[in-house]
Amino acid sequence: MKVAISYPPIVNDQGQKAMVSQNRNVQFFQKPTYLLPVIHAQAATALDQAGHDVYWDDGNAQLKDYDKWLSDLVAWQPDVVVFESTTPVMKFYWKTSRQLKELLPSTTIVITGYHSMRRPEETLDESDIDVVLRSNNLDFVLLRLVNEMATNPFWRMTSDIEGLTIRTSETESRSTGNFIQVEPLDKTPLIDRDLVRWKDYAYENGNFLNTPGTYASSVVRDCMFGKCTFCRYNGPDLTFSMMSVERSLDEYQDLIENHGVKEIFDDSGVWYRGREARQFAQGIIDRGLHKKGCYFGINTRFEYLDEETIKLMAKANFRFVLLGFEAADDETLMRLNKGYQMEHVESCLTWMTKYGLHPHLTIMVGYYWQTREQLDLTVKTVKSLMYRGLARTLQVTICTPLDFTPYHQECIDQGILLTDDYDDHDMSKLIVTAPLPHDEYYKAIREIYSITFNPRFIARQIMFLGKMRKRDWQFLFTYSIRAIRRVRQHIFNLTRNEGKQTEAERVSVSA
Amino acid sequence: MDSFKVIENIRLSESTFRLRTERPNVPIKAGQCFSVGTKELGINREYSMYSAADDDFIDFLIREVEDGIVTPALGRCKPGDLVEIGGPYGEFCLPIQAIAEDSFVFIASGTGVAPFHSFIKSFPWLDYKLYHGIRHEDEKYESDDYEPSRYITAVSQPANGNGERITSVLSREQMNPESHYYLCGNRQMITDTVQILRERGVPGGRILMETFF
Ligand SMILES: Cc1cc2nc3c(=O)[nH]c(=O)nc-3n(C[C@H](O)[C@H](O)[C@H](O)COP(=O)(O)OP(=O)(O)OC[C@H]3O[C@@H](n4cnc5c(N)ncnc54)[C@H](O)[C@@H]3O)c2cc1C
Ligand code: SF4
Repeated sequence: MKVAISYPPIVNDQGQKAMVSQNRNVQFFQKPTYLLPVIHAQAATALDQAGHDVYWDDGNAQLKDYDKWLSDLVAWQPDVVVFESTTPVMKFYWKTSRQLKELLPSTTIVITGYHSMRRPEETLDESDIDVVLRSNNLDFVLLRLVNEMATNPFWRMTSDIEGLTIRTSETESRSTGNFIQVEPLDKTPLIDRDLVRWKDYAYENGNFLNTPGTYASSVVRDCMFGKCTFCRYNGPDLTFSMMSVERSLDEYQDLIENHGVKEIFDDSGVWYRGREARQFAQGIIDRGLHKKGCYFGINTRFEYLDEETIKLMAKANFRFVLLGFEAADDETLMRLNKGYQMEHVESCLTWMTKYGLHPHLTIMVGYYWQTREQLDLTVKTVKSLMYRGLARTLQVTICTPLDFTPYHQECIDQGILLTDDYDDHDMSKLIVTAPLPHDEYYKAIREIYSITFNPRFIARQIMFLGKMRKRDWQFLFTYSIRAIRRVRQHIFNLTRNEGKQTEAERVSVSA
Repeated sequence: MDSFKVIENIRLSESTFRLRTERPNVPIKAGQCFSVGTKELGINREYSMYSAADDDFIDFLIREVEDGIVTPALGRCKPGDLVEIGGPYGEFCLPIQAIAEDSFVFIASGTGVAPFHSFIKSFPWLDYKLYHGIRHEDEKYESDDYEPSRYITAVSQPANGNGERITSVLSREQMNPESHYYLCGNRQMITDTVQILRERGVPGGRILMETFF
């Protein structure tokens, strides 16, 4: 079968491109960061290894415009096209699927991703999509589906592969039941880097301290914790799968020795903790991979990694560590199921910076309950952490209800969503009623980002960068330029709606 | 996260202990878990509730992991010590409308039996069957809490050397596709069990899982 794994270029009215890929909130950027969609890349590899003809079709990373993307895809004449859904691009996909069906009537269109997974019927009603793949283990399910399509002409009516909603006629569909939540990740292939054109993603990623960088095949699928209400990895039908340490080490060795990679980021919701984290770091050291000039980065949560583990990770050349710092007040943390304490946030960051890791905080504002005191406390705490050098970089986003996460569902149930247009969920503005005028949240974003231009912070940053093992001034310069550009884009995106609060929002705010 | 007093800490087997703490003053459903840690460590791990939902304490059934971080510290806790507890979290719970009418099959490895013990203590009239895979005889923990006819174990490393895995037991059993199947414990057991259930015609919609590690 000819299978295209497709990411069409999605451009908004400001001429900005959407970044769509797994569990990343879609954001539109003028100069985008290109993120390798890891599970889709594993799916592509699995299909390729099974003898199918795979077309890795990322219009964004391949710098195509929409028309070029479409004409190239149509010319390739795929049997199957696979998309990835998330709330703010749903309408785009509905439209694109109709256009594609007209041009390629016998092609089967499959959609993956968390929005469609939670609303399969809506997707089929609104579009010409044929199959909703309702599983994050799409590498396993897609391979089963394509194999069945190749051999069973009646697959729409008879397939019993779990985790699918299949269109059986213009108006009817059938579900094949819940998907299998835990798949053996050691059985899905490690990404074929050439197949997915890894170099397209190796440079334009603001989180890479070093280039060429790449994303590892994630060691944890979904999340070991999986309870935060705003997160897609939260659901009664979700638990986590984990890859073995040795297998992941083998991939790192291959990336460093055979591809010349200088930074590897594992985008698992939360990376290994405890024994596996220590085994991995020790494995890097035992294989001598910590001496090859390659940095390693991960996502983790506060209160998962202890001092000894952090020390070992630093020795193994880990650097970039992304931590969700969603708020500083207890009520918000409780409502989000976040479960960390400020005392332990401080100790975790102290350990990380003491051993030379680079903690990056991802902060959110604009919860529908967020009061002046709560907002001020978050801003004040972030400032304090940054000025004291306990975190190196940060990113602020507006908490946007997406993909029918528990937070999204809460907003719907409470009737506080200000829009029912999915396009408005693009994280560029607040779309819920809140106790403060929306401009106050935008101001807070500006204030947090302004930390990065404060002389105190810059002095700390220079001290830190000077201490890095790689004393390469061109690298320091390039990284700083990329960091500043990123901050400016974020500020522009997140505050361009300042002063534009509508009468309806004003009424609901004062009510 | 708040601090709660340890009420008692009892060894149930060589490697496993039952930690009883004060109960956080919040609604709790059987099957949910908590983050538990100590102030000194500054880190925590998730533990499923082992006690009944309406007990006025919380029990955790915890295996002490060799070179683990949190479990040795919790294992050393004495009555009166404080532990930090956050939660409850999660939706690995029984559907209320099904509790009175439907039958349930619980399949656990090791301490993965914790949420099932909580279900059975919370809903004593539950129509259930519990399959429990353990390494040694002494890991049957508080097996008196289960009706003998409903509790089936497989010991993989018994003293007499004739070990059996829970998946081998399951592959000989009749499976009712109408029952609700709950799986909890290590990934390998869960993956193998799903395979067996699917071969026996249990639909995916009837299977729910909680992975510990
Ligand atoms: C939702 C959830 C609920 C959980 N509930 C329980 C519970 O009720 N009881 C419980 O004992 N554990 C439970 N766990 C596991 C627990 O959270 C920790 O992983 C475990 O206690 C080890 O912590 P540690 O810091 O001592 O070891 P770490 O240094 O973190 O080492 C972790 C390693 O220990 C091993 N391990 C982890 N848990 C177990 C176990 N139960 N039996 C054997 N080996 C294990 C694994 O190899 C794991 O990778 C649960 C995990 C999750 C995600
Ligand atoms: S810890 Fe991170 S990845 Fe896991 S559920 Fe929470 S927000 Fe999501």
